[in-house]
Amino acid sequence: MRLVVDLNRCQGFAQCVFLAPDVFSLHGDEALLFSPRFDEAQRDRVEKAAAACPVQAILVDYSDEPTLRVEPDVG
Amino acid sequence: MTPGTITAQITDYANRADPYPLYAELRKTPVRREDDGTYVVSTYEEVRSLANDPRLSNDTRNRPPGHARPGQPAEETGLPPSFIFTDPPVHDRLRDTINRPFGPPHSPRFLDGLRGELAKVVTELLDAFEGKDQVDIVEDFSYPLPVTAICKVLGVPREDEPRFHVWADALASSLDPQSGGGDESQEKAQRARQDMGAYLTDLIETKRRHPGPGILSALAPDMTPADLEATAVLLLVAGHETTVNAITNTTLTLLRHPDVLQRFLQDPGLAVPLIEEVLRYEPPVQFVPWTTALADIDVAGTTIPKGSPVWLMLAAANRDPQRFADPDRFDPDRKDNEHLGFYTGIHYCFGAPLARIELHVAVPELFRRVTFSQLLEDPPPYRANAVLRGPRHLPVAIEGLTA
Repeated sequence: MRLVVDLNRCQGFAQCVFLAPDVFSLHGDEALLFSPRFDEAQRDRVEKAAAACPVQAILVDYSDEPTLRVEPDVG
Repeated sequence: MTPGTITAQITDYANRADPYPLYAELRKTPVRREDDGTYVVSTYEEVRSLANDPRLSNDTRNRPPGHARPGQPAEETGLPPSFIFTDPPVHDRLRDTINRPFGPPHSPRFLDGLRGELAKVVTELLDAFEGKDQVDIVEDFSYPLPVTAICKVLGVPREDEPRFHVWADALASSLDPQSGGGDESQEKAQRARQDMGAYLTDLIETKRRHPGPGILSALAPDMTPADLEATAVLLLVAGHETTVNAITNTTLTLLRHPDVLQRFLQDPGLAVPLIEEVLRYEPPVQFVPWTTALADIDVAGTTIPKGSPVWLMLAAANRDPQRFADPDRFDPDRKDNEHLGFYTGIHYCFGAPLARIELHVAVPELFRRVTFSQLLEDPPPYRANAVLRGPRHLPVAIEGLTA
């Protein structure tokens, strides 16, 4: 599972950080950082974050889903 | 305001249950001047651009004499306006400070950490449905959760929460342009504010000496007691009835759309887009009547003169067919749902993430556990407030409760 944030659209409302703090973070007041890959445990939170974005800048891609059982990687 | 003016129709209780035909009428003149010099803006692009315009002020002291000045505390309270009724740079300084213990970048996990406690409250509320065949969703479910949530955010001891329920009620009604003009409701609000003020002064002092959980403890060293008190009052007013309405409106909308409800019961994941769609379709804050033009502003072929009160009609903008296809249709599959349910720009709802967490905790659990039979009154009776619009009661028949 992957996600993309359109940083040209992002205005730093930070709603995604509140809802999925393990995937998104704020550096300083405006700069958004995020993990482009996330695992099943974060799926629900990432969906909430994407839906909540006031400028709809978060795109979530599940096209790699069939492989999700072999992940997560770190442990 | 003479009868028959648009602002009078908007606040007219007869239009409360279904204001949307009136809003459709309103959008035919995107920027409309009232006889008293108020401008009413109702289309999506115009509302959005004005909400982001630094020439539009939230400090109602910029209004000429003779116009209502919501948000200005009576002089005898000695309190400053809360940050929603301020402009930069004061606004940004206050909001940044208050955000420090509340959200990112400094406290990204504070609200997330409240999920468990809020879920427990939801469970207790639903357990009490046992053996009943009829409940009032407002009184029995939506109403108690948000005050508890705000008390946890502030760090108010649980035993003091009942007093906050009473104060929240009195304060919310004073925001209404109609009843807000009435002396009785203003007096009630004033008294609530004084009582709450006295309580908060004590609590803030206690937190200063013995820090505990919640943002009041964290903020006590950095803010004046007056600013802190004004903030606590704002969070209670803005975060209480709005969230009650959001939970109630979601329940009402689902029960009015059995097809969506069926899908939701089979796929609880639908809660996420469905909640966003309710925020577009039935926003808990219908409009923002407290902005003022600081300069002449040209918008949609009209010049709003400096000093004019401006009403931004969020609920009308959310149904603008130029922005949302088939806008009167409740459609949780809607793509690109950039609704204005939480406003936009620098005054974007401070409590939006808390409201979403409450909705995400409350709505799926309500529908997982409760088997609904039907709405007992449709439309339900609404509160008087046209700004914070929502049902006063939502009586429903229920068939059963799952553990």
